[in-house]
Amino acid sequence: MIMILVLAVPCGDVPVDFSRDIQPILSSHCFVCHGPDEGTRKRDLRLDLDQIVGAERGVLVPGDPESSELIQRISHVDPLKRMPPAEEADDLTSSEIELLTRWVKEGAVYQQHWAFLDLTSQPPDAVGDQEWARNPIDGFVNEQLQRQGIEPSPEADRATLIRRLSFDLCGMPPTPEEVEAFMEDSSPMAYERLVDRLLASPAFGERMALAWMDAARYGDTSVHHADGPRDMWPWRDWVIRAYNENMPFDQFTIEQLAGDLLPDPSLDQLVASGFHRNTPTSDEGGAIDEELRVKYMVDRVKTTGNVWLGLSVECAQCHDHKYDPFTMKDYYSLYAYFNQSVEKGFQTRSGNERPLVSIPTSDQAVLLDSLAESLRLTELFLAEAQPPAEELDAWGRSERDALLKSKRPSLGPWHSLGPFGGKDKPFAYNTDHGPEAIKVDLTLEVAGLSWQSRATDKDGQVHLLNLPNNSAQYLFRTIESECAQSVKLSLGSDDSIKVFLNGAAVFANDVGRGAALNQDQVSLSLPEGKSQLMLKIVNGGGASGYAFEMLGSGLPEPVVEALGLEVAERDTVAQEALKSYFIRAVWPPGKEKVEAREAIMREQNRVNASVPTVMIMDDLPKGRQTYVLARGQYDGPRMDQPVEPQVPEHIFPARSGQPGNRLGLARWLMDPGHPLTARVTVNRYWTMLFGRGLVPSVMDFGSQGERPSHPSLLDWLALDFIQSDWNVKRCLKQMVTSATYRQSSWIKPEALARDPDNQLLGRASRFRLNAEFIRDQALSVSGLLVDKVGGPGVKPYQPKGLWNEVSLDGGLRFARDSGEKLYRKSMYIYWKRSAPHPGMTAFDTPTRDVCVVQRQRTNTPMQALVSLNDVQFVEAARNLAQRVILAEGDFDSRLDLAFMLCTAHPADQLRREVMQMTYAAQRKVFEADPESAQALLALGDSPLDETLNPGEHAAWTVLASMIQNLDETLTRE
Amino acid sequence: MMDPLFNHRRLSTRRNLLGRSTTGLGALALSSLLGENVLANATAGDRFKTVPHYAPRAKRVIYLFMSGGPSQIDLFDYKPAMQEFHGQELPESIRQGQRLTTMTSGQSTFPCVAPMFEFKRHGRHQTWVSELLPHTAKIVDEICLIKSMNTEAINHDPAITYINTGSQQPGKASMGSWLSYGLGSMNRNLPDYVVMISRGKGNLQALYARLWGSGFLPSQHQGVKFRSGADPVLYLANPEGIDPATRRRMLDGIERINRAKLAQTNDPEIEARISQYEMAYRMQTSVPDLMDLSDEPDSTFELYGEEARKPGTYAANCVLARRMAERDVRFIQLFHRGWDGHNNLPREIRGQCKDTDQASAALLVDLKRRGLLDDTLLIWGGEFGRTIYSQGNLTKTNHGRDHHGRCFSTWIAGAGVRAGHEHGQTDDFSYNITRDPVHINDLNATILQQLGIDHQRFTYPYQGLDQRLTGVEGARVVNGILA
Repeated sequence: MIMILVLAVPCGDVPVDFSRDIQPILSSHCFVCHGPDEGTRKRDLRLDLDQIVGAERGVLVPGDPESSELIQRISHVDPLKRMPPAEEADDLTSSEIELLTRWVKEGAVYQQHWAFLDLTSQPPDAVGDQEWARNPIDGFVNEQLQRQGIEPSPEADRATLIRRLSFDLCGMPPTPEEVEAFMEDSSPMAYERLVDRLLASPAFGERMALAWMDAARYGDTSVHHADGPRDMWPWRDWVIRAYNENMPFDQFTIEQLAGDLLPDPSLDQLVASGFHRNTPTSDEGGAIDEELRVKYMVDRVKTTGNVWLGLSVECAQCHDHKYDPFTMKDYYSLYAYFNQSVEKGFQTRSGNERPLVSIPTSDQAVLLDSLAESLRLTELFLAEAQPPAEELDAWGRSERDALLKSKRPSLGPWHSLGPFGGKDKPFAYNTDHGPEAIKVDLTLEVAGLSWQSRATDKDGQVHLLNLPNNSAQYLFRTIESECAQSVKLSLGSDDSIKVFLNGAAVFANDVGRGAALNQDQVSLSLPEGKSQLMLKIVNGGGASGYAFEMLGSGLPEPVVEALGLEVAERDTVAQEALKSYFIRAVWPPGKEKVEAREAIMREQNRVNASVPTVMIMDDLPKGRQTYVLARGQYDGPRMDQPVEPQVPEHIFPARSGQPGNRLGLARWLMDPGHPLTARVTVNRYWTMLFGRGLVPSVMDFGSQGERPSHPSLLDWLALDFIQSDWNVKRCLKQMVTSATYRQSSWIKPEALARDPDNQLLGRASRFRLNAEFIRDQALSVSGLLVDKVGGPGVKPYQPKGLWNEVSLDGGLRFARDSGEKLYRKSMYIYWKRSAPHPGMTAFDTPTRDVCVVQRQRTNTPMQALVSLNDVQFVEAARNLAQRVILAEGDFDSRLDLAFMLCTAHPADQLRREVMQMTYAAQRKVFEADPESAQALLALGDSPLDETLNPGEHAAWTVLASMIQNLDETLTRE
Repeated sequence: MMDPLFNHRRLSTRRNLLGRSTTGLGALALSSLLGENVLANATAGDRFKTVPHYAPRAKRVIYLFMSGGPSQIDLFDYKPAMQEFHGQELPESIRQGQRLTTMTSGQSTFPCVAPMFEFKRHGRHQTWVSELLPHTAKIVDEICLIKSMNTEAINHDPAITYINTGSQQPGKASMGSWLSYGLGSMNRNLPDYVVMISRGKGNLQALYARLWGSGFLPSQHQGVKFRSGADPVLYLANPEGIDPATRRRMLDGIERINRAKLAQTNDPEIEARISQYEMAYRMQTSVPDLMDLSDEPDSTFELYGEEARKPGTYAANCVLARRMAERDVRFIQLFHRGWDGHNNLPREIRGQCKDTDQASAALLVDLKRRGLLDDTLLIWGGEFGRTIYSQGNLTKTNHGRDHHGRCFSTWIAGAGVRAGHEHGQTDDFSYNITRDPVHINDLNATILQQLGIDHQRFTYPYQGLDQRLTGVEGARVVNGILA
């Protein structure tokens, strides 16, 4: 049975309201052809602007429906003349036609879309039961209830209230002690004190961060192609802290959208700016850099629009918006704020991509400081050293002679050996497959392979090698020099490269890239005579190749210049150049220091590599010109349509003096006069607490979205939020201390028919807990939960094979964690976005590859399979069973404890009866078949209390699993 | 009006209700049962019976998805002229500066490569088929071969997301989830949309949960992965130590308490939960029955090949696909990986064909034999094709081919499809389409039509837009491939 409660349809004496009654009709039936989109507009007629009223064309004649062409056409008897045309949309219904007619009769007054109007403070009419009301929210709610003749529901019992509050504010069930304490607290302040305690709990920040992670499309992997790992958890931990410290929402927003642009930003503000680095990125080999880069910017515009404006603007990426006055130019002006980023399109598949910031632990910070000091001392030595003058002069003479003879070394033809395969790329790269440390003889086989000639390879070109994935190939040639001298090589490779000279490694670069000229430069110190030069090219995947070219002398340019001069002609600059080079590259004590310096730097790199980093935002210093992109395509910039960063002023005008960057955008969003930000935000909080938004289309405050059920309440909450300096905890407290929130969620039979969706708020909502809360509750009541805040993602139990069945190359295996990490809160589960944890997604956790502001809430058999069969839940049931057995008392008191833990209520007669019957039957089953009991009790890593009777323990495990699966356990009532 | 049932506004009102009513009360709760037809079985009577829009030809779809991009040049799109051009540079008049992936856009030469495999004509219609597909060659009179498929995407991630969800960006609903949402289930014991994955021996490209995800649609419509092994559906098996009688006892107890709660609260969501727990229980029997091939006669394995005895192989998945079709699963999608022949195409494609050819053809023969082909659409194809020119060095025995979205070959058969027909044509280089292009969205629109759905009217409101599987650019039904 579907019944829609229609709120306040104007009948008789109530005047027609444009934005409530008329705009939805025009929007869904007319705007596609007669609206904001120039591309699809017909007959140059716009019905979305009030200029049409009374205009010469006679489309809308105020007060005179008979003369208004619009009214004539929508009710025309001739189907060919009737609007809208049959092939475009359906006929209007008679009530829609009547509404439009009355609207014209009443003057055809246009109003701006409700969500773009200023917030208004309008107190509720003083109607109804004043005693019921606890705060102003209730006045607004009661006003509508009274008008519809509906009584509010009675207050829920205390146990229900504390469980409801605990989940809503902290994502956790209350302990039995907390329930009892609350029930016994007869103070009139008891409820408020409970709310304050929960808002002050560290779990509050985690609960709020969870919702924000969906909106921010947070993940531990990059999404596209290899979906490789990344570390954004320091950003997530910043969010938890910000909520716990009750950071005002304007600061919370500004630091996340533009923390990097604040004057002299703190480390925390830089970390906060990582919000928009949660964007999915790609490492796909054949991708076009700009195509990817544009994709990232588009995602940022979309996310910003969804989260703060409650608008979807992305259709204006390709064409003017069909329903809202949002043009392509508006879109690209918004896009221009983000288009300044220094990021490239093609990003890494392993770890964080620049720009990023390091967040060292205190130990790491001490170590890095001491390394920096050693480095400083070494540099100081090199700067101040005085080598023996005679050695310096002798070296200078010899190099000058070689230079004047200008004998470039001669190169032999290339030969190749390989490929040598390996289980993975590191193996192929790190292993000496035979020739690396030997004197090469081209006539001899190495590891069963012989050298092949590649005499036709020309220097200065990219040559493809056709290597299998994860394999290495060696390339060999001789290099002969008439005297000892330095030469420089210019190299390219796909992917990694090593260079060997006479059996010693002289250069290595482990990278993933496509081959091009001059990607690396290497200096070789050649002895006199013939040397052996060898390259090792390692292919990680896809194409492979190399490029080689010998440049001139390996000496730096200033040294060559100085050597070109007679000794007497050398000025101090030239002398200094020679001396400096000699100390670092030739003189043994200096070379030692150079090596020491390299060792320090290696150590610094090693430490730095273990220091967590987080990706942050950073803009190009000189900016980037943005153009409207034809059809939204990266390769279609309209050079005749350059745009500058600019906010959509038809929503809210920009204040002068704000910077034309993300900081300006963030401040515009958080301007106290902005009509959308506060409405959208309080509506999101309301949805979290009431299960349904005051504006049910939480992601759409545009003209196609739904209108608020309680417009004055929405505005009151929004204004209060702004006037309290965006105080999040205060806003939530207002909501949960209202009588509206405290109602029972039981549905009166007549309410089910009259108001199934609870639009009027005549009761509290009853809804299934989030995926995370269901698992966390099981862990908490069983005593397994490891309640530690923050840190890298964890990998608890999941079925085998889920990663490698979809991963690139099929080789990526999920490695399950053990110990504490199995029992952390679910929000910390490592979020691999191409294969997210199936126990979570079954209960509607989004994949998080796009911004989601409101989760689905479904009810499926897959959910039953998870909470009945997943080892995580079975193990939790076993531990809950153990907990209640170890509690002193008889069956009934144990059962009460289990029910108190899971539902905050003791078992009633029926529950006791069901559980007793099941228990008796299961004791028999497990005593007759002790192996079954053992098998059940063996599940999960946590230790088993061997002192318990296995039959009793297994039977209680069955009961615990049943209680975990009751509707009242899975539901927040 | 074309169709008396057509009533767009009512449909969208209904969708508005479903899409935006998020408290799960009322109709949504009652119809959120997997196994309930969300639209057609709505309790409000015929008011919402708008999907299907017209009498469907197909009841179900089996999509054999070849992940990685099979080479149309080496399998179906025979170009004898290439023997002459072998090793010669691809003429600029053909390439026309069209964009290439950056894996080959830096190559200094683009030598054409003739297939290293022999082609022969087969069937009544004398269709050219490669020697790599001897079994498919025997069924060419049953299939419609589309040689003019095309897509704008040139790389895997965007391309495979595009063909499966209608958009290169993540976040949209997959085709199977659209059908589950729109048409609902025909089987109360199995999911509407099943996905099975097998891996070939070639270069494996990644797959993603979003390819069978439900995007903005309610998530009960997402594809359910069926896998080989003890748990064919994730978490299906009872924990060790819990026998079926215990499970039954547990469910009975849970139901008694839930019923009491329902009486107290009147929350229809509880009724739905009770049904879902029962459905989960039924699946514990129906799924293992489905997956157990021990009741298949030897003739099955003669038809599909001995590989089909090995769980997790493509051939075994094809047998399962037929068993699911028999049980009226709405949308069955196989992903077979490994078609991405960049480096060692001749060796790899041989292996890929060996793994798939016999079973694909067997599936068609088997469906036909059982009378299921009349109302089943069977589709074989990948996300794009491959280039005529060599990627990397061209030698006597080896070469590679890069991605090519401008034309590729897909075949479709069954319910209302024009059998024995070749649709579309490409130039001598299998590079550009010269006749009857079929965009991937056109194919998807055609698939929907065969299921009785007008793709333009099949929308879901999300974020202020009417979302549809076939995008905003105006896809069209390809009548030429229909009988």
